[in-house]
Amino acid sequence: MGTTSTVLLWVLGVLALVGGVLVFTLNSMARVTFALLGSLVCVGGVVTVLRLPYLGVVIVLMMVMEMVIMAVFMIAYMMNPAGLMPMSMLHNKRGSLVISGLVFAALVVGIFLVPWPDRTGARLEDTTFQVGMSLMGDQMLTMVTLGFVLLATMVGATVLATRRGRYDRFGDDLDQRPANDSAGGGVGR
Amino acid sequence: MGLTAALTRAAAARPRVLLVTTPGGTPVRLAAEKELRSRDWPSASTPAGADLMLVAGPDCSRLGPALERLWQDMPRPRVRVRAVTADEVASVLEAGRARLATPEGDRGGADRTAGEHGHGEPGKHDAESVRADHAKDDRGFEGGAHARHHDDGPEASGHGGEHAGHGGTGHGDGDDDHARHGHDGHGHTGHGHGHGGMEMPGGLAMAEPGEDRDGLTLDRLHVPLGPFLADWPAGLTLRVVLQGDVVQRADLDDPPAGGPADPFWSRPWLRATTGEPVCVGEAARRRAAAHLDSLGRLLSVAGWPAEAVTARRLRDDLLEEAPASAILPRAERFTRRVGRSRTLYWLTRGVGLLSAADARAASVTGPAVRAAGGDVPARYRQWLTEVMDAVRQLDATAPLNPVAQESPRGRWDAERPPSAALVKLLPRLLVGAELGAARLVVASLDPDPDELTACRLEVARG
Amino acid sequence: MAEAGTWWALPAAPAMLLVFAVLAVAADAALDARNAGRRITAHTAVRPLLAVPRALLAQPRRLPAPDRLLWRAGVITVPVAAVLATLVIPFGNRVVADLSVGVVWFNAMEVLTWAGLWLAGWGPNAAFSLVGGYRFLALGLAYELPLMFALISAATGAESLRVTDIVGAQHGLWYAVWMPFAFVLYLAGVLAFSFLGPFAYPLGRDVADGVLGETSGVDRLLLQAGRWLWLAAGAAMAVPLFLGGGAGPGLPAWAWSLVKTLLVLAVLVWTLRRLPMLRADRYVELAWVVLLPLSVLQALVPALVSLTR
Repeated sequence: MGTTSTVLLWVLGVLALVGGVLVFTLNSMARVTFALLGSLVCVGGVVTVLRLPYLGVVIVLMMVMEMVIMAVFMIAYMMNPAGLMPMSMLHNKRGSLVISGLVFAALVVGIFLVPWPDRTGARLEDTTFQVGMSLMGDQMLTMVTLGFVLLATMVGATVLATRRGRYDRFGDDLDQRPANDSAGGGVGR
Repeated sequence: MGLTAALTRAAAARPRVLLVTTPGGTPVRLAAEKELRSRDWPSASTPAGADLMLVAGPDCSRLGPALERLWQDMPRPRVRVRAVTADEVASVLEAGRARLATPEGDRGGADRTAGEHGHGEPGKHDAESVRADHAKDDRGFEGGAHARHHDDGPEASGHGGEHAGHGGTGHGDGDDDHARHGHDGHGHTGHGHGHGGMEMPGGLAMAEPGEDRDGLTLDRLHVPLGPFLADWPAGLTLRVVLQGDVVQRADLDDPPAGGPADPFWSRPWLRATTGEPVCVGEAARRRAAAHLDSLGRLLSVAGWPAEAVTARRLRDDLLEEAPASAILPRAERFTRRVGRSRTLYWLTRGVGLLSAADARAASVTGPAVRAAGGDVPARYRQWLTEVMDAVRQLDATAPLNPVAQESPRGRWDAERPPSAALVKLLPRLLVGAELGAARLVVASLDPDPDELTACRLEVARG
Repeated sequence: MAEAGTWWALPAAPAMLLVFAVLAVAADAALDARNAGRRITAHTAVRPLLAVPRALLAQPRRLPAPDRLLWRAGVITVPVAAVLATLVIPFGNRVVADLSVGVVWFNAMEVLTWAGLWLAGWGPNAAFSLVGGYRFLALGLAYELPLMFALISAATGAESLRVTDIVGAQHGLWYAVWMPFAFVLYLAGVLAFSFLGPFAYPLGRDVADGVLGETSGVDRLLLQAGRWLWLAAGAAMAVPLFLGGGAGPGLPAWAWSLVKTLLVLAVLVWTLRRLPMLRADRYVELAWVVLLPLSVLQALVPALVSLTR
């Protein structure tokens, strides 16, 4: 690894940590969300510098979308009006301190206990294909199952969160068209 | 210094204009819109994006504070001008541009006092001279008021606690606090955070939660629509309670107290009722122009500026007595393009449903009743049909019967003008609509506040 | 085929992007003038650029309790992301950074506008501005997935995420020809992430310019510039993805890139005024119920072709 990569790695690592600290010290929900986003973007950068450009850029892509959507929900479902009212982001301080300490310790121990493999063969320029093969080759069944589980979770959560069901929309005999909705959709169902 | 001067001059070559129409100012607005279009001066929707504020129409003391707020929201360099009659629009705009082209430093304190005098206290003027004074003074622009504005920190007292009293373009100061709150849900009722005596940043107060359309408990946001919103009936104020961007409640503000109105769009009918001879062709011309004006507004709100411009050009040509032969093909092309647009239909269908029976029950007459189907596309298609009918009658010379033939918004009755019924419908139609849909509903009915009352000079006198 | 990394490519790419954006603004102004019945001269076309001196002069906004930091961050993000996105777009045979994951990079930069626009709406602490910010997210949820599948269709056809590989894989047959639906969805996506014309929803006139409503001066200029820069970047990216890049008879590669980019840009600018603004409450359902399944089917076509090759 060259000097540039090493410097980048350190800078991005430190920035990611700073972002992480800010998440717990800032007092505005919007700023906290975007501090977390900044931190995760730095993590994406770290992964890219470690020669996994696909995963790195995808982390940036997904995290931006997720954090923005999360900002909407965090601000929408908070007991306290959002960024305007300064608020503490810490809850259950002692419990969370214990949990995070234990997790941190476990991860550090893991670093030393895992038998890291030695490099065999030369380093590849483009790792995207390898990432794809290792995820979609042997683990295809896992990925497909995971995909369906995630989809089912999302659909299920939405259905559970919606008060109105199909009988509200289509009437008791499900024959009422168009549906009885408070606002019409684009396809006219 | 030389660079700033050069930049100032360049920037003033194409000022963005905040066109504010006061009730009764329709002819001035029409002249101003035409002037801006031919000069290629863009029209701004908010004070933040404007350099020049043009107040079109007679003075109206009730709307004074709202105007003042708009003016204070404009970033410098800025100029404020007023046109009371349609004839002076061009000269007033030119004067405003010239002022904008002068670097700040050269303007000095002289016009500050002039501005203070001009727009500060219209009540001081002798009623007879209001018109002349304003034409002169308001070209003096910058009030001392805005100097104070700059010194204000975010905690300016003027911003605090003033929630309901906002006019302007819905972005007024006091509303800002609600802005955030409207989107702050209170899903967890278990958390006992009292909102009571909390000190809010900027001295703004908290919004309160309430049940929303979908069964969530979301904060309520009080936003006034009007009186000076872009593409909005001038002077009409609707106070809406928003949750998210869904209207939960809408209340009409009292129209400005006033005497007999002289609505521009119904003037031929007004004259015919007093016994003056008016021919059908003239009335048809006015009706077509009125519908095109409404269509222009609707298309602008629907986000189709190109066709809105087409509608407004047709309207202006009609009012300039263009012959029917010149208008007809263009009107046909416009009708075809807008009336047959599937996208526009798809975007607006089912919005603002108003059955003919309900409309009749609310004593609505005119196109809003005739529009079969009763949603926004039915209404704009009805307008288009009536525009075509009217354009074909432009040369008719028979005398106008003001009872048999309807004015643009319905059967003319000085006691109960057709717009009064339309305005009454609005609160009911708006509830449950998303903000964009609510704007479409208002634009598709397009009541003319000029018909209700106007802030006229006679009123100021009485 | 593409050479990466000559030193002058780095400043040249943003400069060309700016030129394309200015051309698009000028074309739009000319169409505006024709529509409004004004004479069209060279002068008319460049008049919108007078917004630049005006922006430099105007004072910034003073609002009660804004989140100035986030506001500024959002406003800057939009144009900066557009410029960063162009780094992977080959022009002729040249490209600034020929990343192995160029398509994903472009996509990630485009998604940054989500954050940028929401922050720009949140920052000023004003009702309509915030509604505008949220509107872009609603629109984003509708346009993003079809757009991603359109990008993936092109990448699957070439079996590579490297943009120059995609250009190389289109020998003889442009992807626009045998993946027309992906091409159309991509162009719609370009209009959406530059939030112009039919996708001007977050800046709608019905919410008093929404996100743009409270900005003035340089902030306003940056947001407006961001829109047109994104339009130009999207048009430039359409060429390597779907129109065979610089390939073509007779002319050198850069000339073909230039011609094709200008054509795509012209089509986009023309489309801007042909449609009314799409509201998310209608468009989301169309996007998820109709466009998304179709875009998945479209992505299936190159996948099957690649398998049987």
